[in-house]
Amino acid sequence: MEIKSTDRDDFRRIYDENYHLIVQVIMHIVYNIEIAEDLTQEAFERFYLKNMTFPGEDDAKYWLIRVAKNLALNHVRRNKREIEMVEKVRHNPASSLESRDAAESAVEADERRAVRAAVDSLPENLRMVIQLKEYSGLDYKSIAKVLGISETNVKVRVYRARKKLEEALMTEDRDVY
Amino acid sequence: MCIDSQMLSAYLDGELPEPYKTQVEEHLEHCPACRKHLCDMKDLDERIKAASFSDEILLRNKDKIFSLLDKKYFEKGKKISFLRRRLEVSVPSLVTAAAAVVFIFIGGFMFFGTSSDQTKDILPSFAMQADSSNVHYVSDNDGLENYTLEEILQYLDSKGYNVDISIKGLQPLETEPAQN
Repeated sequence: MEIKSTDRDDFRRIYDENYHLIVQVIMHIVYNIEIAEDLTQEAFERFYLKNMTFPGEDDAKYWLIRVAKNLALNHVRRNKREIEMVEKVRHNPASSLESRDAAESAVEADERRAVRAAVDSLPENLRMVIQLKEYSGLDYKSIAKVLGISETNVKVRVYRARKKLEEALMTEDRDVY
Repeated sequence: MCIDSQMLSAYLDGELPEPYKTQVEEHLEHCPACRKHLCDMKDLDERIKAASFSDEILLRNKDKIFSLLDKKYFEKGKKISFLRRRLEVSVPSLVTAAAAVVFIFIGGFMFFGTSSDQTKDILPSFAMQADSSNVHYVSDNDGLENYTLEEILQYLDSKGYNVDISIKGLQPLETEPAQN
């Protein structure tokens, strides 16, 4: 079904169905919920202002993910100094970001941070693929469409990302124990 | 032979097509090493997934941001301005439209000629000066082919041009002896 980005009902439906996905994609790049919300809002504003008719809901979704990803990556590149602070926040157990984890054990919080750091240290082309796979629940075909690469390429990148993460997290384990 | 890790990774994601999928499953049944490999991969996958953010954090301002956007763009009476509206015309139709304009313009002259009476109607100020006494058809003038090379050179020489002529790519005639 066609989606017109300036139609109120269409906009509402796309927003409802994709907000979670978009904020998630951005969050895993900027690691700050306030910034992620700002950029999510901007992505949807761009969607409206684009004033475009998409052939289907999936096309609108892929377009939004692409815009969200680029907004987040640009933000990270532009605000290096701010990012260093985010880095501190990410490694600080008492941060507001982890407040919901207050009830969970420190070990789990540490594990979470270790994995995020490992994912974050991947080269961008591998990182985006594994994040879209693991956190956004997209299949290879969708990831290929979002990133403009072939499905085979997605398969290879997912595998390489896994291999690198395995190495990084194994080293981490050795350091811990 | 054991399964390639990349294939196993695709199998884990449910992205392995047949007949490879069945082959992998058959192999896994009797190969503990590959089963362990797959198991490790699954564990890693769960570790990565566990590092996601909770819905509580991610969705905390979903409604607030929507009402903000709704107010900004969809409030009653607010429509996208004409200038922001994108005019969507496909390239072939643009080309067709341009061709039609040219055709009508040229066709007008072709079918109805350009008598001075009509020119007067179309362009009154131009018709005043445009009659046979002061309009020369460029194509009626003699072309360069009516002059010999010598005449052209003489003419250019008289105008003070320094002409240097060289001829390239000529083969000697076969009938002439080589020493000439």
